[in-house]
Amino acid sequence: MILALLILILSTALFFFYFQVTCQKILHRQFDREYFQSIANANRLEFPSLRKSLEEFGAPVDYSRLRMMLKCDFLALTYLLKNAANVNQRYSYDERLLILYFRWQFLSLAVRRLLKVGENKAILRLTSVLQYFANVVGQRVNAVKFGNLTAADYLLNL
Amino acid sequence: MDSRIVSYGLQYAGYLIEASLLFYLARSRERKGLATPAFYLSSLLAAEAARAWVLHAYGKASERYFYVYWSTDFLLVISAFILVCLFFRRACLQEEKIWRFARLLLVFVFVIVLGISGLIFSHNYSGPVLNFYYFVFEFNQNLYFACLVLNTLLYLLLQQIESTDDQLGLLVCGVGIQFAGPAATLALVHLTSAGRFALSLNSYAIPLCTLGMLLVWAYAIVRVRDKETRVARHKIPAFAEVTAD
Repeated sequence: MILALLILILSTALFFFYFQVTCQKILHRQFDREYFQSIANANRLEFPSLRKSLEEFGAPVDYSRLRMMLKCDFLALTYLLKNAANVNQRYSYDERLLILYFRWQFLSLAVRRLLKVGENKAILRLTSVLQYFANVVGQRVNAVKFGNLTAADYLLNL
Repeated sequence: MDSRIVSYGLQYAGYLIEASLLFYLARSRERKGLATPAFYLSSLLAAEAARAWVLHAYGKASERYFYVYWSTDFLLVISAFILVCLFFRRACLQEEKIWRFARLLLVFVFVIVLGISGLIFSHNYSGPVLNFYYFVFEFNQNLYFACLVLNTLLYLLLQQIESTDDQLGLLVCGVGIQFAGPAATLALVHLTSAGRFALSLNSYAIPLCTLGMLLVWAYAIVRVRDKETRVARHKIPAFAEVTAD
């Protein structure tokens, strides 16, 4: 009984640990250049400024606004991931995994907020997922030739 | 929707990815370091094919299916242990000293698992058929959990030696997902004395975790290698006259 309980706790913890590590490894993928800034500017996404304020001042904006900002950026970026310069019009499996990871971190943010532990860490993880998505969208848009249009112009006309 | 349909759907999706990955590995020119995942994928496919054939030919209630199911389960757990050993070898290619220690640890763990399983088996003698079942069930369960612990040690070792092998890191994470999920749900089944919820969770968790591992492996094999190839191509020196054209 005790052994089974121990195995249950340990295995569950390890399962979530491996899930998180896998997502982190995918997020560490190097892009040939930083595409996310132009995508964020073109779509008025707020995660870069949120990340900057968190890294520089260490204090996030008020919680309900923060949730709204992250949610809106997430919805915009997942839409772009599926529709901007994507011939198949569907997510790849690593993108699906990261979408799941984002939702899990979003839930974990609410729990951390309640417990008042490591809130900033969760926010940084959420913004890193958004940054990755923006980089993927930027890279895709950049790979397609649109005459004289820049990535930002293309997205504005979408 | 019927839970069995979902479970079968996940299972068949797993078979499809296993076969596609093996096909990809067989066709690709660069096989360096990919023989280990190919070996495990082949054993998974072979075990599933053997089970499907016996199930089709003799039925689920037959004694042959019982023996084939548990024998293939035994072989799969042994393959999982070999997989972890080969990953240890790959991680320690430049670290002979650590490999010597790791080799001893792996042998020690295997002997311990065999000893514990044998001890439990000797206390549960109940005729030849049940005997076979008791030993295989106990041994598989213990070795499976030992593989999970060893895989975690391997992950920690990769961090310790600051390994730059991204592909191996991802392959190890995939194995971790495959081992940890079923171990947790099987423990829950045991704790709830095979309760309905635990059994239903277990029927989803096992194919879902296998699918998770296969997808992470596919990412590691296709994407990470693709990136490495691109970097390598970048490093090939070009002659001035060629570039001038």
